[in-house]
Amino acid sequence: MNLFGLMEISGSALQAERMRAEVVAANMANAETTRTASGAPYQRQHVVFAANQGANAQGNSGFFDSLTAAAGTAQLSLPMPAPLPLLGSSSPGQPAGGVHIAQVMADSAAPLKRYDPGHPDAGADGYVSYPDINPLTEMVDLMGATRAYGLNSSAVQAEKAMITSALEIAKA
Amino acid sequence: MQIGNTLSEQLGRYLDLAAGEAKLTAQNMANIDTPGYRAVGIDFAAEMRSALEGIRQGQAVGQVHVKPEEGLIARPDGNNVSMDRESLNLAEAQLKFKTGVSLLRQQYQTVMDAIHADK
Repeated sequence: MNLFGLMEISGSALQAERMRAEVVAANMANAETTRTASGAPYQRQHVVFAANQGANAQGNSGFFDSLTAAAGTAQLSLPMPAPLPLLGSSSPGQPAGGVHIAQVMADSAAPLKRYDPGHPDAGADGYVSYPDINPLTEMVDLMGATRAYGLNSSAVQAEKAMITSALEIAKA
Repeated sequence: MQIGNTLSEQLGRYLDLAAGEAKLTAQNMANIDTPGYRAVGIDFAAEMRSALEGIRQGQAVGQVHVKPEEGLIARPDGNNVSMDRESLNLAEAQLKFKTGVSLLRQQYQTVMDAIHADK
């Protein structure tokens, strides 16, 4: 991993937060949906974030670690310093230290009952089941997603500035 | 032929550490909403000291100690990443990196000046 690896980490967060905002949008759009493919009312969806492998590892056991270990035993006389183990390796799909969505799970809350005997989805007792979606909760969630997205996009800006300034070394 | 010197090597380690610090900050920022995630960081001064010592003794790059940050307030979901703290850390790492880059540029400029000394 190199400086671009930083952008991969921030990029994984941007992707995850956008997905979270999409789920919030789906929840709000379906706040009044009484009928889905399964026949039941819409269930509120949650996203569950999980840290990628290597995020909390004390010492990454990546490719560069094995490389530095090999370089140490073989006594390579290369003048180039080995890369820092801190900037360890990453798998292409999930950058080490980034975040991914572990799952999108349905809320188990019981549906809200509203008395409306004329509604086509009303039960035998005249009550219609609506999804238990609170616009306030959704808005707060959306705000959190927007903030986190902004935070990570400013991190991308900072990383771009670092890469640009690293290019300055080569300019005479 | 040797173009670099001890100082440019030290600056190289300094840049590595600054980039590493930025990486951990980016990692903390990415996991700001991950339940149970604990913020991590490095002790920059201590790592730099051991890097300088390693250069003096001609050793290979040692392991960098990533440690969990202490004294942060955890939210109910067990996450203790603070948005403004991480923003500050990133700004700091960025400035460190830029400092290292301009110092390294000066080092190489000196060599360039020596090459063009006859003009």
